[in-house]
Amino acid sequence: MKEGLRQSMALLHTWTGLLLGWLLFAMFATGTSAYFQDEITRWMQPEVTGDADPVASAEGAVRFLQRTVPDAKSWYISPPNSRSATTQVYWQPADDKPTKRGETSAMLDQSGREISTRETSGGFFLYRFHFDLHYMPVLWARYLVGVAAMFMLVAIISGIITHKKIFADFFMLRFNKGQRSWLDAHNVTAVVALPFHLMITFTGLVTLATMYMPWGIAANYAERDTFFEAVFGKSEEVARSGKPAPLAAIGPIMQSASARWDGKKVGYLRIANPGDATATISATRAAEGAIGSRGEEMTFSGVTGQPVGGSMPKGAALATESVMIGLHAGRYAEYGLRWLYFLSGLGGTIMVGSGLVLWTVKRRTRLPDPSRPHFGFRLVEKLNIATIAGFPAGIAAYFLANRLLPLEMADRADHEINSLFLTWLAVLVYALARPSARAWPEMLGLAAALFAAVPLVNAFTTARGLPVSLLAGDWLFVSFDLVMLLLALGFAMGARKAARKRAEGPRTARRKPREAVTA
Amino acid sequence: MAKSAATARGTNRGIGRWNVASRILAAIPANYLFTSLATACLARLLAHGLTVNPAEASVAATLLSFAIFATVALFAFGLRSIARLWLWLAVGSAIGGSLLWLSLDMGGRL
Repeated sequence: MKEGLRQSMALLHTWTGLLLGWLLFAMFATGTSAYFQDEITRWMQPEVTGDADPVASAEGAVRFLQRTVPDAKSWYISPPNSRSATTQVYWQPADDKPTKRGETSAMLDQSGREISTRETSGGFFLYRFHFDLHYMPVLWARYLVGVAAMFMLVAIISGIITHKKIFADFFMLRFNKGQRSWLDAHNVTAVVALPFHLMITFTGLVTLATMYMPWGIAANYAERDTFFEAVFGKSEEVARSGKPAPLAAIGPIMQSASARWDGKKVGYLRIANPGDATATISATRAAEGAIGSRGEEMTFSGVTGQPVGGSMPKGAALATESVMIGLHAGRYAEYGLRWLYFLSGLGGTIMVGSGLVLWTVKRRTRLPDPSRPHFGFRLVEKLNIATIAGFPAGIAAYFLANRLLPLEMADRADHEINSLFLTWLAVLVYALARPSARAWPEMLGLAAALFAAVPLVNAFTTARGLPVSLLAGDWLFVSFDLVMLLLALGFAMGARKAARKRAEGPRTARRKPREAVTA
Repeated sequence: MAKSAATARGTNRGIGRWNVASRILAAIPANYLFTSLATACLARLLAHGLTVNPAEASVAATLLSFAIFATVALFAFGLRSIARLWLWLAVGSAIGGSLLWLSLDMGGRL
């Protein structure tokens, strides 16, 4: 019975891991990069330098909005956090007519001047891609991503049941042993960061829980909105009275909210009916202030600046949900923990990638004729090349496009994103056209070359190249360039290994028969 | 080809096409139905049986639902007998469905 269970779990692990493995690889890769989305954005906006104080920035933003759209229905202000330097503002125009993106938003510096930098979606795009994907309706993407995440959860648990010697194999990493090495790489990246993988997958499902499993709410609420109002509070729109009144100073309001939250900063401000006697100002606690992602909120009168309300304290379930989402997003993490998040995510990406490769490695020796594999085998192999080499190459191309596309290009941000997908597509086409044994080293080499080119191109196209930023102690730029070089090194080593393998020819089966079953 | 591979692997213990198809049906659509009913029942039970705040009750049940779904999916492939698997799912869903129906019939939905 026990062996039977392990076999059925191995089967389940293999197929749940494979079917959406390519999507999971892309989700893991972009999700991992999202831990540094603010840093990536700063690298992709090299014109923006220095730091900004959130309170001074919010005051500057209010001055900008008073100049630009004094009669708007609402203003929304995201002052910079400790990792960013710009203020994002957007507003709801008085006449509510639909507008294009960019006409109702602006990026400001600390003094409230609009920043002119190259148009880019920055790290935010990579973050959004990991659950919204691209070129498809967001709703479909989120369902697809949810299915993939559930497959991942089942693959992880069945993988644990399958894995016999989970502690003995913990420190086992045998190099140059063919299938055994792939299995070790898969196991080590899986087991070392196992709590992370379980946490990130489960909490990822929780971030969109009410969409995937709406029936818990439907059981108690006839109207979904009643639930959301109970949780997030009602945001009723009050009509302007027409009686003008000067807006209360925003700085003291932010300080008083901070004081109420043990010094945690304000991360978001909403100002309704600015300049009117009915104005209100709502302040939300910054995401980096605590693990729980759903921050406390306080509302103030926009005329007197006195507090008029606040969010209800959360009960156990809502607090648990808030902490789960916060753990997933990691916005609370300081740099030490942030790097640990990043490394664990990288481990997860390698785990998914090595699992995909393992599928072909294990089956290659069993093929009736290894020189002419059947369709399914070829498909998996081609998709593996396109994803494991091609998707990272696409990310490198995204960074390169940021430096190389003309600064004044129309829809520049979209073209940056297109570069990612065109590169990915090109690698797929190449992999389909070339024999796999050749395509592997060549495409891994391409990814290495593109990553290595990023710091070089950065040095030639901006004044913030690696030598300069090293001398200036600009650690954000130094770290970004170094991570690019390390990724290049990793892919170059992979390419070399794949090239040598091709020279040796396919490895003959040297496994004990038992291993073949359990792995 | 696939069959010879299965034999070589030694996993050839009568895993037929229908066997796998039936388990996939149990693991995904039937499992989703079962989990939805269980989640809704739990949300009702917490809110009306144990007088938890209804928003809290709904969220607690929703958080648990993913663990329920994953566990049932594993059982769909781990249980040896397919007949027993479907019996469990059918009985579970029938109980959940009727409890939910009774509970909703008594009202109290906001």
